[in-house]
Amino acid sequence: MPVSAETVPAADQVRARRLAAPSKAAGGPPALEARGICKSYGSRNVLEGRSLTVAAGEAVAIIGENGAGKSTLMRICAGLITPDAGSVSVTGRVGYCPQEPGLFDLLSADEHLEMFAPALGLSREQAVREGHRLLAEFAFPLAQRAQCRHLSGGSRQKLNLALALLGGARILLLDEPYQGFDHGAYVSFWEHVARWRGEGIGVVVVTHLLADQALVDRVVELEIVPDPAGGQR
Amino acid sequence: MSARRILVTAKLTGLELARRRIALGLLTALPLAFYGGSVGRGGNAVITGGVAMAFSIAGASIFVALTARPVDPRLILAGYHPTELLLGRLLLLELFGILVAAVFSVVMVFGSDPAHPWAVAAGVGLVALTSVPFGLAVGGLSPHELEGVLVLIGVVGVQLTLYSTQLVAKFLPFWGGQRLLDHSVNANVAVGAAVPANILYAAALFAIATYIMRRQAPRVGGAARQRPDAVAGIHAV
Repeated sequence: MPVSAETVPAADQVRARRLAAPSKAAGGPPALEARGICKSYGSRNVLEGRSLTVAAGEAVAIIGENGAGKSTLMRICAGLITPDAGSVSVTGRVGYCPQEPGLFDLLSADEHLEMFAPALGLSREQAVREGHRLLAEFAFPLAQRAQCRHLSGGSRQKLNLALALLGGARILLLDEPYQGFDHGAYVSFWEHVARWRGEGIGVVVVTHLLADQALVDRVVELEIVPDPAGGQR
Repeated sequence: MSARRILVTAKLTGLELARRRIALGLLTALPLAFYGGSVGRGGNAVITGGVAMAFSIAGASIFVALTARPVDPRLILAGYHPTELLLGRLLLLELFGILVAAVFSVVMVFGSDPAHPWAVAAGVGLVALTSVPFGLAVGGLSPHELEGVLVLIGVVGVQLTLYSTQLVAKFLPFWGGQRLLDHSVNANVAVGAAVPANILYAAALFAIATYIMRRQAPRVGGAARQRPDAVAGIHAV
């Protein structure tokens, strides 16, 4: 798909490109709006006045070099860390899939679903049923009933993703969600992104893959904040 | 606050803990070894074994806290309140502590024939009571298991080297239990304020664990979770 440039305030230091074809629900109220986000770790500025708006039903890819603050921005948008300045507002529940699967090694997939169930207002049976449906769509080895420590990296990531999707999120923040996926699961993932867009769910995907950028409505590139001392980090 | 969330947390914490069979076996064997090693030295064995029991229960609590750390932010983001997670773990670990304390009481009462068997049971009960919030607080503060275990070894080790009548011992978390264990074998040692002091210490440690957990928790507005279709508003400034 062709890509056209979109101007974003220079102060945001964010370069964005929008696909020619808007998503079904683009133009609606934003599912996510982050404004003027600043974050530093010690003397190192990671984010400086970044902004990001995602409409309901819009898929956005975030790209950038290592250390550009992609994961930090996602964690701030999810509410996991507090920015030094700026604000984030979200509509509805946030589904967050971290880069590193945050799982209990000694619990099985079903037990994870049971753990998340009461938080999401679901019964155990509802959570397991919905979780199994999601996991089956990504070809997760449900029959194994294995503890997480015995799962492959890709299977752990599938469970990680299913937990983010459980309970019907309105905005999905997916930080390199398909690490370790095989080709079939990867293709299936992007088919799901298209479906979520159609359902009016905002989707943000951190990615390094050039091919992915043709599969979203918009690409936001984060740049490394220059060191005020002029040196390279 | 939801009772179901607390109970589910307790249940799954129990499942996870039960699967750490080797670690649990070693943790339980350690204080038994302390007791067994000093059983020929009169009443000291009861005090040593009872206080060393903190290794088992606080060690298990540290493991639980550290294992949950990468998952907790997501659970809180999904809708758990940090205190619900902590209370669920406290519930399960205290039950585990009571079980271990009961076993230790029986072993030491029959093994050492103390003058006041009730004080042995009460002493190890107090050690168990304090060990859980101590482990949860240390687990909340420690970056890794190694640091947490070193703090545990340090605190329990110092407590073991002191007499319960020494001033410094009174400032350590397991003094109340130690004092009761001391009383069980030495009638000259008064119980004094051991019980209320120990309960206060346990409550303070739990308050610290709660504070740490809440500080580390994501700051997402609860309204977003309870009203899925509503605008949640600014959740981070």
